[in-house]
Amino acid sequence: METCLVLDNVSKRYGRTLAVDSLCLELRRGEVMGLLGPNGAGKSTTLGMVAGLVRRTSGRIEIFGLDADRRFTDVIARMGVLVERPAFPEYLTVRRVLKWLARLSGKAVPVDWALRVTGLDAVSGVKVGRLSQGMRQRLGIAQAILAEPELLVLDEPTSGLDVESTRDTLAFLRKLADEVSVAILFSSHQMAEVELLCDRVAVMRGGRLTACERTAAVLSWDFSSLEVLCDRAEEAAAALAAERWVTTAEALPAGVRVTLRGEDADRTAAFLVSKGFQVRGIVPRRRTLEEYFLKATRP
Amino acid sequence: MTRRVLNMFLAEVTRGMRLRQTWAGVAAVAVAVGVMLARGGVARDGRADYDFIARAMPAGIGLAAFIMLLAWSACLVAPELGSGSIRLVLTRPVRRGEYVLGKFLAAAAYAALLALEASALAWAAAAVLGEITGVEFGGELLFTKEEMAFAWLGGSALAMLPLLAGAALGLFISCCTRSTGLAVSAVFGVWILLDLVKHFLGVDRLVFTTYLESCWQVLANRADGLDAEWMPMAWQCAGASLGATALLLAGAVLVMRRRDISG
Repeated sequence: METCLVLDNVSKRYGRTLAVDSLCLELRRGEVMGLLGPNGAGKSTTLGMVAGLVRRTSGRIEIFGLDADRRFTDVIARMGVLVERPAFPEYLTVRRVLKWLARLSGKAVPVDWALRVTGLDAVSGVKVGRLSQGMRQRLGIAQAILAEPELLVLDEPTSGLDVESTRDTLAFLRKLADEVSVAILFSSHQMAEVELLCDRVAVMRGGRLTACERTAAVLSWDFSSLEVLCDRAEEAAAALAAERWVTTAEALPAGVRVTLRGEDADRTAAFLVSKGFQVRGIVPRRRTLEEYFLKATRP
Repeated sequence: MTRRVLNMFLAEVTRGMRLRQTWAGVAAVAVAVGVMLARGGVARDGRADYDFIARAMPAGIGLAAFIMLLAWSACLVAPELGSGSIRLVLTRPVRRGEYVLGKFLAAAAYAALLALEASALAWAAAAVLGEITGVEFGGELLFTKEEMAFAWLGGSALAMLPLLAGAALGLFISCCTRSTGLAVSAVFGVWILLDLVKHFLGVDRLVFTTYLESCWQVLANRADGLDAEWMPMAWQCAGASLGATALLLAGAVLVMRRRDISG
């Protein structure tokens, strides 16, 4: 896949505070990358630098193979940006805001499409000042997708949205990535939506990138932590606990929860069978994004 | 670049037309011309009509339009910085210099609108209530209506220059703060300070606000039956106003280019 965003050693300093420290990232066409991190990790600053709103102190940003500074207008014309807590002129109607922004985009873009896909067509004649927070967020998404971008930079896109709108928005973004190969870089505090949407997750802490991995790898099966479905759970737990290659063994109503020093589920099953237990199944634990996040953000 | 500045300008005009303060400026200019009409009146005596125009133009353009323009241009960027809505604009294909230039062009268009309104009202009142056939004293025609029209045209053209400098001042201050209230207060504060210190420092001729009234001197003198020279006032007005406009605009662009735009 073609690379459409490269951050090369990008840093941002506010006075004495280093908000982003030597960040290196790559995003490919059609890929969705979730940027995670605790508050103050530098996510919004990073997205701001990609969107050209925040001046970087050092480093290089390349978008669609072009220098993001020198070719800013060429680059930004192919991007859609949703900033955190988007603000709009309160006295304009929803439709008028989109038309105003379409004019600034310099393209004859259809605002009806953006209104429809974000579910704003019913309130297109309502002034922004009268919209709820969720509706404003939808308007933020509408303006980001207005010019049919190839790269979307979204800062907490589902913030303030209800469950149904969140689900629809995530499904729509996934569709954009899958069907039109739009690359999406977005930040979020919601692990579930990152799990659902992202191909890759990057974790930041204190301005540094502490982890970056494919979501599928993050959410892989952990064969060192098993639930073994077997009879005589108490006895099985005791037998396993006595073994050196077992860290912990805990009896459950229908079996044993066991953690191993290595990832050897077969050995566990063989051991229990050899001891006369009837093993009905072994379920490895699935790693969660939250664990990955906490590990990556641990000081 | 031209197309992008034009897009920015048109977007700003569209937005500006929906602002209440835009129409407050139009009302203020009408009131200023009305007050001049009520104070002096217009008679068919061969000179009172031009005398009215010569009083109405500085009141309408040099005072009312200038005040409203200062306030209007001070509200061009600061509210957007304060609310964060500027991020919507700056994530479009618009460079920051083009953003400032588009805003300035909108302010210039607003200045032109107010000047046009003041002129139209003044001339309409003079035409209806007076004769506008030239300036006469004791039956003698001192200045023809063409000469008076030229004096008015020259005054109007020159009056636009300090207005543009005022718009640039408002815009510059607006780029420096996120608070609309502070921007408006600061722009009026700077104006008052400029007018206070320029006499003491003896730099009147270098300060553009001096020409808000003095650019109408030729028209006013002719309305009184006296002749007056355009030079060197016209050059000084152009130099001081255009110089201030260029400096303030460059300053506004510089401030915007160095600014980090956050929520």
